[in-house]
Amino acid sequence: MIRAVIIDDERLARNELKKLLLDFPEIEVIAEAANAAEGIEKVDSLNPDLIFLDIQMPGKTGFDMLAELERAPNVIFTTAYDEYALKAFEVNALDYLLKPVEPKRLADALQKLQVEEDKDPISDHTISVNRSILNEHDQVFVKDGERCWFVKLSDIRLFESVGNYAKVYFGPNKPLILKSLNALEERLDEKVFFRANRKHIVNLRLIEKIEPYFNGGLLLEMKGGEKIEVSRRQTVKFKEMMSL
Amino acid sequence: MPKSGSKYYWWCQIGGWAFLVLILIYAALTTSVEQRVTEQHIYNALIVAVSGLISTHIFREVIRRRGWIQLPVDKALPKFLVGILLTCVAGSLLRMVFGSVIGVGASLKTATFTGRLVPMMAEYGLMIFPWTLIYYVYHYIDKYSKQQLDTLKLEALVKELELKTIKAHINPHFIFNALNSIRALIDENPVRARTAVTELSNILRSSMQAEKLETVTFEKELNIVKDYLALEHIRFEDRLQVEYEIDEDTLDQPVPPMMLQTLVENAIKHGISRQVDGGKVKIISDFKENYHELVILNTGVLNGNRNKDGFGLASTQNRLQILFGQKANFNIREVNGNTVEARVLIPVDLTK
Repeated sequence: MIRAVIIDDERLARNELKKLLLDFPEIEVIAEAANAAEGIEKVDSLNPDLIFLDIQMPGKTGFDMLAELERAPNVIFTTAYDEYALKAFEVNALDYLLKPVEPKRLADALQKLQVEEDKDPISDHTISVNRSILNEHDQVFVKDGERCWFVKLSDIRLFESVGNYAKVYFGPNKPLILKSLNALEERLDEKVFFRANRKHIVNLRLIEKIEPYFNGGLLLEMKGGEKIEVSRRQTVKFKEMMSL
Repeated sequence: MPKSGSKYYWWCQIGGWAFLVLILIYAALTTSVEQRVTEQHIYNALIVAVSGLISTHIFREVIRRRGWIQLPVDKALPKFLVGILLTCVAGSLLRMVFGSVIGVGASLKTATFTGRLVPMMAEYGLMIFPWTLIYYVYHYIDKYSKQQLDTLKLEALVKELELKTIKAHINPHFIFNALNSIRALIDENPVRARTAVTELSNILRSSMQAEKLETVTFEKELNIVKDYLALEHIRFEDRLQVEYEIDEDTLDQPVPPMMLQTLVENAIKHGISRQVDGGKVKIISDFKENYHELVILNTGVLNGNRNKDGFGLASTQNRLQILFGQKANFNIREVNGNTVEARVLIPVDLTK
C-alpha cells in the first residue's frame, strides 16, 4: 500500500484526482492539504510515501514547500500549464501530470513509482524507529535559485560549510542550502556521513583514496576529486570506524 | 545621377538659367543704346548662365555630400550663407575667365580686379540666393513628408502589433484549470458543469473575435468578465468574492475588447490566487465628469517588481491612448495597504 497525500489549493482539483486514484487500489489517499503550510504539517506528521503536489499555490509554491521539508517523499507534480517551472526538473526526470489529468499518464507515473520501490527493498519498513535521522536512501529536495534537484543522500559525497550555508556536492552540482553543518550532522546517519573537520562532512562510501597527511592526519580524496583533510582528533575516530 | 529628384533638378537648372539668358537678352534689347542685340550681348548672357550653372552645380554637390539638408535649420543656416558667398565668388571668377577667353566685357577691363568682382558677386547673389532658397525648401518639404510617411507607417505597424499581442492574451493556465474544474463538476454538479462549459465557450469565442474589433460595448465586455469570474469562482470557491457596482448608462460605452478581462485576470493572478484566505474583486463602472471610469479593486499588494508585468500595464495605457487619444488614462496603485486599485479613464464622446 502506498500512502499518499494530495496537496492542491483547489478542492475540485483534489476531488478529481481522488476520483482518478480510485482505479488504483494500491494507492491510499491518507490526507489532503490546501496550501504549502498545511502540506508541510501533513507530510511531517504522516510521513507519506508519495505526495501529489500542485506547483502554483497561494503563499508558497510547491517548490518552496519541498525545500522546507526535512525529507522529501516521492513527488508527482500536478500543474495546469507551467512549462517553465517543469524545466527545472529535466535533470531529475521526475514525473509530473498536467491537469486535467489523463488516466493513462497517471497509470504510467504510478507504474514508474512501483518500479522504483522494487529497486529499493528497504523502503517502508525503515520508517525508522528514529525518524529524525535521515537514512541514506532518503532523498532531499535542493533548491538553488531557479534550479531544483531531488538528491538521494547516498549520492551526496560532501557537505562543505560556507558561512550560514552548506554547499552540497553531488554529481557535477554543488548548490547551496540554508543549513548549518552542525544541524546537518545531527540529522545524518553517522555510519555513512563523517565529520572530517570543522568545515566538511564526507560520505564514507564515496571516498576514492585515503592518504596519510602530516601531523598524523589523513587526506581523503573524494570520488569527485575533492581533497579533504581529516583533523588529527577526527583521524583517531576515523581509523576506529574503518577498522571495524 | 539616376537618383530620384535629379531629373527635376536638371530641368530646373537648365530651365532657370535659360530663362535668365532670355531676360538678359531682352534687357539688352530694351536698354542698350543700339536698340538691338549684339553678339556681345548673347555671349555675355551665355557666360553668365553657364558660370552660374556650373558654380551652383558644384554648390549642390557640396550640399549633398556633406548632408546639409539633413542638418537642423539652426546648424544649416550659417553653412548655407557661407556656401552662397563662396558660390558667388566661384561664379564671378568663372565668368571672368570665360569672359577673357572669349573676349567679352572688354568695356570693364579698365576697372580693378576687385572693382569687377564685387558687382558681379552682387549680381550672382541676386540669383544664387533664391536658387538656394528654392533648393532648400524643396528638399525640406520632401524630407518632412517622407519622415511623416515613415512615422505614420511605423505607428500603424506598432499599433497593429500591440493590439494583436494584447488581444490574443488569454492565459492558458486559466483554460486548463477551468477544464479540470469542469471535469470534477460533471459528477458533483452536472447543472453547474453545463453552464461552466457555456461560460468557457463565451470567453474563448470573444478572445478570438477580439482580434477583429477595435472596440466593443462595455456591456459585452462585462458579460465576458462575468463569465470569467464565474469560472474562477468554481476554482477558488469561498476564496473568491465578487462584487459589481455598475452604472447601467455606462453599458453602451465603447471599450477596447479584452482590456477589462486582462485587468481582472491580473487581479486574480497577482491578487486573489496569492492569498491563502482569498479575497474580493470589485468592479466599478461609472461616469465621472466627462469620463467613463472603470475601477478594478482586488485584495492583495502591489509587488515591487512590476517589470514582469510592466509590459501589460504599459500596453494598456498605450492601447487606450491609441484608441481614445491622450486624455485616456490608466493607472494602478495600492490603497489601504491590502487592496490594489486599477483605474481606467476613457473620455466620453459627447457628440454621439
